[in-house]
Amino acid sequence: MPLFGELFVSELLKKPVLDPRGDELGMVKDFIVVKGEPLPRVSAIIIEEKKERYLLEWENVGIFNKRIISSKIYAGRLSRYDDSGEDLLIRRDIFDKQIVDANGAKIVRVNDVKLEGKDDYACVSGVDIGIRGLLRRLGIERRSENLYRLFGKTLPHNIISWNYIQPLEPRLSTISLTVPRQMISALHPSDIADIISEAPLDQGAALFNKLDPNVAAETLHELEPDIQKSIIDSLDKDYAPRIVERMPPDEAADLLADLESDKAREILESIEKEEAEDIQELLAHEEDTAGGLMTNQFISYPPGLTIQEALERFKLDAHEVETVYYIYITEGERLTGVTTLKDMLLHSPQMTLSGIMESKLKTVSPDADQQVVAEIISKYNLLALPVVDDEGDLLGIVTIDDIMDILLPTASRKKRRSV
Amino acid sequence: MSLRRISATWKKLVLFIAIIGPGIITASIDNDASGITTYSVAGARYGNMLLWTLIPTTVALVVIQEMAARMGVVTGKGLADLIRENYGVKAAFFMMIILLVANFGTTVAEFAGWAASMELFGLSKYIMVPLGAFFIWILVIKGSYRVVERVLLGACLLYAGYVFSGFMAKPAWGEVLYSTFVPTIKAEPEFIMLSIAIIGTTITPWMQFYLQSSIAEKGIKKRDYRYSKLDVTAGCFITNIIAFFIIVTSAATLFPNGIRINNASEAALALKPFAGQYATVFFGISLANASILGAIIVPLATAYYICEAMGWEAGISKTFRQAPQFMWIYTALIVISALLVLAPGAPLVLLMVLSSVLNGILLPFVLVFALSLINNKRIMGGFVNSRIHNYISWATVITLTLLATAMLFMIILPEFSKP
Repeated sequence: MPLFGELFVSELLKKPVLDPRGDELGMVKDFIVVKGEPLPRVSAIIIEEKKERYLLEWENVGIFNKRIISSKIYAGRLSRYDDSGEDLLIRRDIFDKQIVDANGAKIVRVNDVKLEGKDDYACVSGVDIGIRGLLRRLGIERRSENLYRLFGKTLPHNIISWNYIQPLEPRLSTISLTVPRQMISALHPSDIADIISEAPLDQGAALFNKLDPNVAAETLHELEPDIQKSIIDSLDKDYAPRIVERMPPDEAADLLADLESDKAREILESIEKEEAEDIQELLAHEEDTAGGLMTNQFISYPPGLTIQEALERFKLDAHEVETVYYIYITEGERLTGVTTLKDMLLHSPQMTLSGIMESKLKTVSPDADQQVVAEIISKYNLLALPVVDDEGDLLGIVTIDDIMDILLPTASRKKRRSV
Repeated sequence: MSLRRISATWKKLVLFIAIIGPGIITASIDNDASGITTYSVAGARYGNMLLWTLIPTTVALVVIQEMAARMGVVTGKGLADLIRENYGVKAAFFMMIILLVANFGTTVAEFAGWAASMELFGLSKYIMVPLGAFFIWILVIKGSYRVVERVLLGACLLYAGYVFSGFMAKPAWGEVLYSTFVPTIKAEPEFIMLSIAIIGTTITPWMQFYLQSSIAEKGIKKRDYRYSKLDVTAGCFITNIIAFFIIVTSAATLFPNGIRINNASEAALALKPFAGQYATVFFGISLANASILGAIIVPLATAYYICEAMGWEAGISKTFRQAPQFMWIYTALIVISALLVLAPGAPLVLLMVLSSVLNGILLPFVLVFALSLINNKRIMGGFVNSRIHNYISWATVITLTLLATAMLFMIILPEFSKP
């Protein structure tokens, strides 16, 4: 098989294919690609002649370059091509489709596909997503290049390596490698949420389904309620509770409140009892109040504990808890004071918590408006604000990141929309 | 769960209202400055005689918009996306070029409508056009989707102004109803031209793109499709009810007194002696509102489709650096249109004629693409057209194509036959 450098598929389409005598077999119509290591490779060329399609296997390709494509088979000997629907074709299935550029963490459209010669095979090495690919498809790449040069500029190349691609279409996933899937999971959950909200619903859900459950839980929280709902609906009956379990209870409660009651009950029933109780408790509050915003995961110890004892317990308790900087001091359920991780570390380990705690602390009632909560947190520069009931019992804490989400909704929550 | 439960019920209602939305918004924007002009001219010239054309227009509108809505729900993609993915770069590219020029003309018409309505209230266009353009521009460049959507929904309500002025004109309702349900045809070129213009101004190519994208972006699920269908149908009726009242208003006041008008602001002014000053004010405010609404939506939608089809980044919350093509297309459309309206001796009429010619050329292509896409099992699955539905759709498409061709001849021929 002939060696060649790099080729773009658009330059090969509609090129005549010649047999060893130099007779024309037909025009290049498409390429079939199959999974290969490390890259997918072309397994056959589909040739069109008088509206009929023929198959030219890669083994029977003679010369393969921009100028000449030749076959080792003589005219009239080619077998017909029947589209079983199973094959993956470059032009039909990859051209013009949307893919995820895992490197740039965004959705792009394929303008062209780059082939590269490797060990006698033509491998799909990358996709062109730039203006050059667009112009090449329109057949005006060279002319545009000259025009650009007139202005002293060059047309930029914008090719993503196949390794950085996560296909959105389920058909395409069959030839993707395992690497991109891991790359998607390596992105920040906010970036993944951005990608999911930009993709069409089904494809976004498919992408979500492939995520590691821990990443999935964080990603779900970053999504807009509408999309969250659609995604939970699309998940497996057993998988949805596993993800909800991994979310902090306040976020899980927000999510469940948006779901239809049957669905929410179904999920609540299948998650761990303790977790479910926490969520139930939070669900009882109106969403835009302190009670609706708070989480019931926090660190609290009795005042008589020494710092050393407290730190030992802290090491065990802090795994489950998101916001750990404030350590609340409670007698029974009643909130009596607060101290910080810093104070605990800086004071002598023999001191008791009551000795270092601050007992004049700011609290809110569960029905306080979210705006009031935000004002208090901002005014006193807090990381979290305790929520207490009429008896002074500590119910939960509102953390600064939940308040930030209200004051400055993140970009991924504002779903991209055409107005 | 009690409090959350109540808010969940509210949410269901909100969700329902959320689904019904794209259809009604599209419908409102459909009656833009050029639509209002056509309706008022038709009423002034032929009285109630053309009212019956609104019924076939409504039917055609429902048939083709339902297809757009169905494609949006099933595929989760816009029409520009689907055309690019299934018919390649060239088809998409040329379609977008024509759409760009046609919509540029439409944007100019919107600004001209805005200028005329402002002059009705004695405000100089040299101040109001730049002010309006700046407002629109800043809304998208600096605003978030939330703000834009609220402004748009608020603006849609103002269309009720036409209903008020319709009643103030005190039409003979018996006669109005008779003309609505009993067709009259006059063998005069002007009569035929106006009846075609009513359909042409109501059914436009960009509207198909707009509706499908906004439904796709909403992420409406297949099982909620019936709500969407209801929304689209309601929208089509609203469009034509507004059109009905505009025709009735000018038919009841201007027609019996033999007053001929050339545009909508003349209509507003001419109303004063017959229907009172408030009718003029209502009519004028509604025109201003329709124009400014169109001036936001048309450039914004154009920028979106082009970027979608070409695979460029797009979005209201993006910056010039993140989405340069999107922002520049939007900015250029607004700035150039506003300048053209202000420039003395600018060929405004020619531009608007060009715009309707291009729309007339584009419409059959858009409809044929839409029909072949909606019958593609690979894309639509079980949601392809039924046989009967196909007969109705093809009949509608062929009729619209014939009418569009007829309109093209009528527009082009007088232009060339002038000495």
